[in-house]
Amino acid sequence: MAFQNEDDPRESPTYADIADAMENRELSRRDALKVAGAGTLAVAGAGLLDLPGVVHAGPQFARTGTIKIGFVSPRKGPAAGFGEPDGFVLGLARKAFQRGLTIGGTHYAVEIIDKDSQSVGPRSAQVANDLISGSRVDLLLTTSTPETVNPVSDAAEASGVPCISTVVPWESWYFGRQANPAKPKPFKYTYHFCFGVAQFADAYTHLWPQVRTNKKVGVMWPNDADGNAIRAALGPTLKKAGYTIVDPGAYADGTNDYSAQIAKFKSENCQIFNTFPIPPDFATFWRQAAQQGYKPKIAQIAKTGLFPSQVISLGSIGANLASAVYWAPSWPYTSSLTGIHSRDLGPRYERATGKEWNQQIGASLALFDVAAAVLRASGAPKNKRKVANAMKKLQVHTAIGHLIWGKGPLPPNVVATPIIGGQWRKVPGSKYTLDFVICEHSSDRNVPVRSRLTPYS
Amino acid sequence: MVWANAVLQGVLLGGLYALLACGLALMFGVMRIINLAHGDIAILGAYLIWVAVDHTSMSPFLAALLVLPIMLGLGYLLQIVLLERSLRAGPLVPLLTTFGLAIAIQNILLQVFSPDVQSLGGSAGDITTVSWQINDQVSIPGLGILILAIAVTVLGGLHLFLSHTRLGREMRATAQDPDTAQLVGINARDVYARATAIAVATAALAGLFLAIRSVFDPSSGPTQLIFAFEAVVIGGFSLWGTLLGGIVLGVAQAIGAQIDPNYSLLAGHLVFLAVLASPRGGLLVSRRVQA
Repeated sequence: MAFQNEDDPRESPTYADIADAMENRELSRRDALKVAGAGTLAVAGAGLLDLPGVVHAGPQFARTGTIKIGFVSPRKGPAAGFGEPDGFVLGLARKAFQRGLTIGGTHYAVEIIDKDSQSVGPRSAQVANDLISGSRVDLLLTTSTPETVNPVSDAAEASGVPCISTVVPWESWYFGRQANPAKPKPFKYTYHFCFGVAQFADAYTHLWPQVRTNKKVGVMWPNDADGNAIRAALGPTLKKAGYTIVDPGAYADGTNDYSAQIAKFKSENCQIFNTFPIPPDFATFWRQAAQQGYKPKIAQIAKTGLFPSQVISLGSIGANLASAVYWAPSWPYTSSLTGIHSRDLGPRYERATGKEWNQQIGASLALFDVAAAVLRASGAPKNKRKVANAMKKLQVHTAIGHLIWGKGPLPPNVVATPIIGGQWRKVPGSKYTLDFVICEHSSDRNVPVRSRLTPYS
Repeated sequence: MVWANAVLQGVLLGGLYALLACGLALMFGVMRIINLAHGDIAILGAYLIWVAVDHTSMSPFLAALLVLPIMLGLGYLLQIVLLERSLRAGPLVPLLTTFGLAIAIQNILLQVFSPDVQSLGGSAGDITTVSWQINDQVSIPGLGILILAIAVTVLGGLHLFLSHTRLGREMRATAQDPDTAQLVGINARDVYARATAIAVATAALAGLFLAIRSVFDPSSGPTQLIFAFEAVVIGGFSLWGTLLGGIVLGVAQAIGAQIDPNYSLLAGHLVFLAVLASPRGGLLVSRRVQA
């Protein structure tokens, strides 16, 4: 596919040359001018304001360098919804890094190069390799869906570049990338924070008892990476919790007719419904279910229904769908890089874009919180091995919570983060068409619960 | 009764496939152009209808009536400006042109409308969920009946147009032999542009129903295109055949799903391959529209 290449315009050869020269401590013309200018200013300042200290603080002998951070996310294609807040989040991160970082006595400028994975694996691997060998990045960040994240992580692991990722259930990320999933080996350079099946099971088993049902769950788990992981891991967990799973079988993504599944759910009287589909498949299914008279008491959707537009676009049959979130403005946490509290992050996005907040904002911003923290913790941000080693015990405050590596579930690579159950609901007096109302907080008790689950029908 | 319902739903799904496929069949029949951008044109139509609905909160069906003339015009221009030139360069170039057009449309839609998913299902009202419950297992959805009726109307209308009007005769003559048609005074350029205009308008109509049935976003176009192609091939490149092909495909998918949900798409693809592998399949390649 001959798509255009959206290279960062600032990433021209001249710029890279200057950056390289600066790294090698060669005093380029530009450096010399900068130092001379700063020195003059310092002397002038000292003279005018009589502050002798300023002279000593002059950067004459300070060492400098540039840290390059690569950021890969889906901006086009089926998963483009996840990349939608990228512009806003990258703006915040670039502003926070504007003054650079001073680590171990050296001042570093920070450059973020963002690339679009176009939601497909091969393209994702290609841009990751471009960033690694072309732009020579020191650190990779990547987010949203296995198609984007796993190839980037694999490329980073193979080339020995530290990589931090999120928003892929950690089982898919960790086991999906193993040569032999039965005998998993820890990764050296790739680190991850995300919810997993255990957190989904927690959320569901705390959410569903809030409505009286016959505990029969009709499931539509597709025949793709996510669907099969969920079938293998979530199914048995729910059974243990006393639920009966009615599984008509895996279906292919892009199916246009679901009468077979609907008939099965109706005949088995499944009062709970759960699915992990791509958004258009759910819309097709849900409309067909309404036509054929299948109305469960709880409709729990995942993978779709993450963003307001996906639910609002369904019209009247979208209200009261249950879903789960990995971040919301009610999260009581602050991004350590930008100093922005979650409660301000949502409204800031809404002012900047005119759209309702969505949960990806917190997760994408958290990647940059982690990046800043690990670069500082490494003591030597240009040393890839030291940065990777610093990840193993990193602790960092982000908008989605306090992340601590090394404690599990799969040390040292993975931190399991919460996913919290709730419901898309019409709230009287709200400025939104539908509000996401949090109804349980089993995986993070600091997040306030707003209401109880109400039946779908 | 479960099987009866599966067949019924499959027939109704076939209506949607036929509606999406008839523009493809027409363009291939008249100009031998395989339009890879057909799905994206359908989504473009859906977006235009959505814009009208969003600004005026009118019914999507009314909005479609406004958008159809626009799409006719766009189709006409598409032929004159883009496809006509590429047709002169041999049979492969139009294919590449429409491939490029598909990518351009997707990216323009992404720039203008953002990747948010949209749907016309909410604003189309009760028709999207209403159905006649025959018994516990069989129900006839109103939307499915409407789509099938529109598909039959469009295909029937095209059939009458091609067989009983002067323009239709000119179109068939040009399809048979453009050079001879020009010798007897037919403006082949104009005929081609009209055919593309009609194909683009029917794509928009299919886009309307895709958007009511499910959700759409700028990348939705290619996903349904494969089914439209299969419907055209199963139907043997004729207009009525396209309706039949769509229904065969829909029923195959519904019955496949009844056996195991994983066989739904597979069953459709197998029917398609069986048609291609049959003795008839070899003839299809050399046939032209026989409406």
